[in-house]
Amino acid sequence: MRSSPSSPYLREISGVIGATPSPVRLSLPAKAGNIAVVRRALEAVAEELALPRRLVEDMRLAVTEACTNVVRHAYSGAEADQASALRVDLLPHARGMRVIVEDQGRGLGPSPDTGGPGLGLPLITTLTSALQVSRGAGNRGSRIAMSFAPAIEAA
Amino acid sequence: MTEAAASPNGSPGTTRVSIVSGPLVGPVLRRVVGMLAARADLPLDRLDDAVLVADLIASRAPAHVQSASVDVAVETGDRTLLLRVGPLRPGGGEALIVDASVPGVGNVIEQLADDVSIAPDGDSEYLLVRLAYSS
Repeated sequence: MRSSPSSPYLREISGVIGATPSPVRLSLPAKAGNIAVVRRALEAVAEELALPRRLVEDMRLAVTEACTNVVRHAYSGAEADQASALRVDLLPHARGMRVIVEDQGRGLGPSPDTGGPGLGLPLITTLTSALQVSRGAGNRGSRIAMSFAPAIEAA
Repeated sequence: MTEAAASPNGSPGTTRVSIVSGPLVGPVLRRVVGMLAARADLPLDRLDDAVLVADLIASRAPAHVQSASVDVAVETGDRTLLLRVGPLRPGGGEALIVDASVPGVGNVIEQLADDVSIAPDGDSEYLLVRLAYSS
């Protein structure tokens, strides 16, 4: 049986977090196949934290959407092959997880399919407890910081 | 084991994962390596070998890294997987391999890998482990 969120696992991980800003960082080429790699890492951390299944599903969907945006829109040609084209930080905290998806490409723009804003960001907004969208490091690309926390059920 | 002079950061297309030493190293590294081994089209037995090597690195590397995190770059080719572990402190590559020995079994990393080498890089070094499948 998995441990509860107040388990020694979480306390140990929380201690680690206090010492460093990014417990898990993935730097990958911005390729569609690498979105599955990010999801695997996310699932591993969520499992270790014994996060609620519903929350993990929301996280998976939102992070997939954010990474897909990078793969589809941030780069052209060989730029996407750079090892740090897509950077994902997983930062567990006492009640959930913060995930930062960052690129060094063109940044956010209108969806090429619709000519206007796509459904990605509204979907991510719905799935997260907090969302920050800004320029990436060096004022290049985009940085999407998503916070996830379990919903508090009404008594 | 040989001494290599490979680029520590790997070639374009490399996936890098950095995990703070602690309980997340094993679960995250084994999943990432397993996923990339599958994508490199390694057959199931070699995929298992790759995951076992990842588990050993996850459990032994924290004692030999230079910083607070275990960094691994994974490069995939046609039925080939190259793991670059580091930066490690000087002597850390050899120590990590020795630590991976299991009584009665011997050195597991060296037995499973097709090639194991150490790449010096200034005041640090990298352990390079290559797993391949040749039909």
